[in-house]
Amino acid sequence: MLDDAVEGLPTVAVPGLPPGWERAWWQPVRLVLTVLVGLGGILPLLWMFSTSLRATTLPPAVRFEWIPAVLSWENYPTIFQNFALGRWLGNSLLVILVAVPLTVLTGSLAGFALATLPARARTALVAVSVAALLVPTMALWLPRFLIYKTIGILDTPLALIAPAIMGTSPLYVLLFAWAFARVPPATFEQARLDGAGSWRVWWSIGLPQVWPAIGAVTVLATVFYWSDYLSPLLYINNQAYYTLPVGIQALQQSNPTGWPLLMAGSLVLTLPVLGIFLIAQRFFFRLGR
Amino acid sequence: MAFARRISRYHWGLIAMLGPYLIGLIGLIGLPALLTAGIAFTQYDALSPPQFLGFDNFAELLRDDKFWNGLRASLILVVVAVPLRVLGALGLALLVQSRGRATSFLRGAAYLPTLIPDVAYALIWLYLLNPLYGPLNGLSQIFAGGVETEAVNPVATPGIWLTDPRAAQAAVILLLLFTVGEGMVLLLAALGEIPRDLYEAAELDGASGDQQVRHLTLPLLAPSLLLLTLRDVVFSFQASFVAAVIVTQGGPYYATTYLPYWIYRNATEFGRYGYAAAMTLVLYAVTALVIGGLFLAARRWREVQYAG
Repeated sequence: MLDDAVEGLPTVAVPGLPPGWERAWWQPVRLVLTVLVGLGGILPLLWMFSTSLRATTLPPAVRFEWIPAVLSWENYPTIFQNFALGRWLGNSLLVILVAVPLTVLTGSLAGFALATLPARARTALVAVSVAALLVPTMALWLPRFLIYKTIGILDTPLALIAPAIMGTSPLYVLLFAWAFARVPPATFEQARLDGAGSWRVWWSIGLPQVWPAIGAVTVLATVFYWSDYLSPLLYINNQAYYTLPVGIQALQQSNPTGWPLLMAGSLVLTLPVLGIFLIAQRFFFRLGR
Repeated sequence: MAFARRISRYHWGLIAMLGPYLIGLIGLIGLPALLTAGIAFTQYDALSPPQFLGFDNFAELLRDDKFWNGLRASLILVVVAVPLRVLGALGLALLVQSRGRATSFLRGAAYLPTLIPDVAYALIWLYLLNPLYGPLNGLSQIFAGGVETEAVNPVATPGIWLTDPRAAQAAVILLLLFTVGEGMVLLLAALGEIPRDLYEAAELDGASGDQQVRHLTLPLLAPSLLLLTLRDVVFSFQASFVAAVIVTQGGPYYATTYLPYWIYRNATEFGRYGYAAAMTLVLYAVTALVIGGLFLAARRWREVQYAG
């Protein structure tokens, strides 16, 4: 049952070790590497957590400390009281609430069209999409800044949401296109012969068959907009419109060495992404084939 | 008219569905690129109308030490960090491809640093690298040699991560090496696409594990590796920018003022949008050259493979 539900997800098949790779010398090496990678991945988070609990009244620790002598949980309420963290968090949620559904809408529309267009048009558009993926963000921000300024959305939340009009990233459009391409074309053809227009085919035949892609893009886009630091840094000046990532940076600028509070803020920023990942991970990796 | 009639109503519908995406592609990617080329030839402060300058901005670029410094720092970063990142992702993918509880945990752990939002990730590193009690301070001495630094804290080994130019550049690269989770997943997916029978046939022919990796796995992974390398080149500009803004602030002595960061400062601090646009054009050219070079190298490699 669950296998059926998972089948068709944009999952990563975990291949398993090829035969003949299980050598005696490999086992200890793998163990050591596993421990190192595991530590490298988890220590930063643990450390963020333990630092966030150190009393702000104490001088900075001269030596590394794993568990503070006194746990000061009040650091968490403090960052919400002393900074506009609540407001920035609300802004972040608002951006997600608008940008993610819009992304799913425009991305699935474009993906559907891309998957069902005649081959020549499709090839050209896929090529353009891949080329667009290879343009560095840092080469686009300056002219985007000027365009946003000209059309009057600079320094407003619209500047943060703008990419959602194109499905946020060509990658998401391609994800949708791949999902729609996996649906047998005859399904769409039949509906079309029955007189359904393209929008109707997209809505009632196409979308219900690509739930996994909708889920994947929702997760990816949510994490993207939640973590997006560059857009608010570059396009937002008014602190009232800050989202959480630039808010945390503002926290740092006002108190550069207030590590307990900074790490508490960083953890508030990290935990939701972590939660989303833990839920999504179950569906992400598929064992075998 | 004849053209319009040949396209069915259904296809017009499809084109309309592409509308928002095409508008975005043009308005947010195509037009910005053109606009950059336009204002690169002007003096523009984003307040008064731009004034045409001809090639003056580019002539100034040639004399601007900080521009050359930024370009060099960015290129060094790409040349050092990207291969290490791709190798790291490959190593991790090979390491976590077996099944089981332990490796499933390991996949999660390896992906974690990639998942942490940029700001939080950069702040952790700022803390890790602090000169007084950073746990990696002993390690920083390896990279010493940029300038003489005084001991800040006589008790512990002083960290020079953020005070020595070379160590700061190494720190940014180190910071980039832990976020290879996406590359790992991409390569893991590619590994999963390799038919198992190929390995079994190789095994029957007496190929050892590392021979299989060299002659079977790697050649079959090559397209994914190329894709990952291209993506990483593009990504490294952005990641180094965030590190420069939060961790090193472009210092010490402009050592980590990578080209994107210098562009950013010229525009936002000095109000020199025209000059910043000229540098952005250089960034386009560098990206295109690196990507084009990689494509050519990949094709050459394939020819050699099939010839031999």
